[in-house]
Amino acid sequence: MSDFLYPFIEGQETDATGLLADLASSARRKAAESAALQASTLAELHDAIHACGEAMARRFLDGGRLYTFGNGGSSTDAATLAALFAQPADGRPLPAWSLTADQAVVTALGNDVGFDLIFSRQVIAHSRPADIAIALSTSGNSDDLIMGLREARKRGLLTVGFAGYDGGRMAELAAAGDLDWVFTVRSQSIHRIQESQARIGHRLWTVTQHRLTELRTGPGQPMTTATTVKGAS
Amino acid sequence: MTSLEERPQSATTELIDEELAADLAGAALALARRYHAGATLWVLSPRWEPHAHHVAVEFVHPVIMGKRALPAFALTGQDIVAEARLAVRAGDVVLAVAAADEPVARDVLRRAPAWGAETFWIGFGDRPDPGSADHVLWVDSADPMVPSTGRFVLMYHLLWELTHVCFEHPGLLTPAAEDCTDEVCVTCRDEGRLAEVTTPPGEPFGTAWVRTADGEEEVDVTLLGDVAAGDLVLVHAGTALTRLEEVS
Repeated sequence: MSDFLYPFIEGQETDATGLLADLASSARRKAAESAALQASTLAELHDAIHACGEAMARRFLDGGRLYTFGNGGSSTDAATLAALFAQPADGRPLPAWSLTADQAVVTALGNDVGFDLIFSRQVIAHSRPADIAIALSTSGNSDDLIMGLREARKRGLLTVGFAGYDGGRMAELAAAGDLDWVFTVRSQSIHRIQESQARIGHRLWTVTQHRLTELRTGPGQPMTTATTVKGAS
Repeated sequence: MTSLEERPQSATTELIDEELAADLAGAALALARRYHAGATLWVLSPRWEPHAHHVAVEFVHPVIMGKRALPAFALTGQDIVAEARLAVRAGDVVLAVAAADEPVARDVLRRAPAWGAETFWIGFGDRPDPGSADHVLWVDSADPMVPSTGRFVLMYHLLWELTHVCFEHPGLLTPAAEDCTDEVCVTCRDEGRLAEVTTPPGEPFGTAWVRTADGEEEVDVTLLGDVAAGDLVLVHAGTALTRLEEVS
């Protein structure tokens, strides 16, 4: 391609060029897979996400707070989700925290009572019945998340699980009526699951913001504009 | 309706176009080469800290069993510039997840070449000025929700995935020897190397100590008058020629 410019490095360049072309087409293919999975996930979960967002809006109006939690990369996605609710680029800020934000609390609980209890013990300490718990997992199986969701459910919180694969134990809990909502991304790839979960979280936030405005002003009323909300806060 | 209205994003939405795919491919090979040579990855995201942590955990604890664990740290302190200055060694990599106007990211990335680091910049909206980073991986959308909708997550997931593909091509992990041996080599020629002042002159007309990609050295700064620690200067043949002013 550009051989006429660099004839002296032709041998080396040809090899790297081949790899770079492969990498680029691989990136395109994976991104297309991700986009397709995001679309099918949001279509499948459309009604459930709307119902869940409505329930979340009612709890925020009742003074509820949102707690998000996960392990590893999912803990960072949980933090991103909490930040979206608490400090949105647009819309009404809502009280939301990530339960991995405080290293002192996480390590104290992990060391003293066991890693499986790092979230459930925080739920016991922080939560009230009007609150909301969202656990992010790709397998749906992590013990610490399941314990956190069980404790939250026992205390009357709205409980939501994000899962992948076949939904794992979160799906079982939901089927047994012990979890309010499970949103499962039907994929075997941890990365593609997390990308779709980001979209689910964003959609939940969007619905919650909509419903909050409608519950306050009644359907059909003009929505409060973002600037008005920001100016009033 | 207002901006809170749901934005349709159908299956046909192209998350990575051809140009961005080529940028990602080049970035992945560069990152693999740096890692192969012993680099540590330093990640900052002053506005969206969880993204910095997510990148770090990707490399440190791979989601696919059997992939190499690689050194990567999130920089999240009160003074990220000072933290990065201490942490970064020559040959390392600095990755920012930030908008083009993020002041801390801009400051770190403009200094990083003086520390000998290769720079990567993931962001959205208006693009940074050309030359602001060695690799710019940009979401060309001004939607303020981009950082919350998985676009950055997809970007650094792909960067990780492609970097590990490069490790399967050991022959390509060392840059071609021709790049650095020829007498007309552009990258190694001493024509105004970026330097950061570490110790200003102790007396008038004295010399200053500066840090460059090659290490610390003593240079003549009389052409510049007063210099202060942290100033970025261009050095040629033992002399600081010009000071790089901060771009506002």
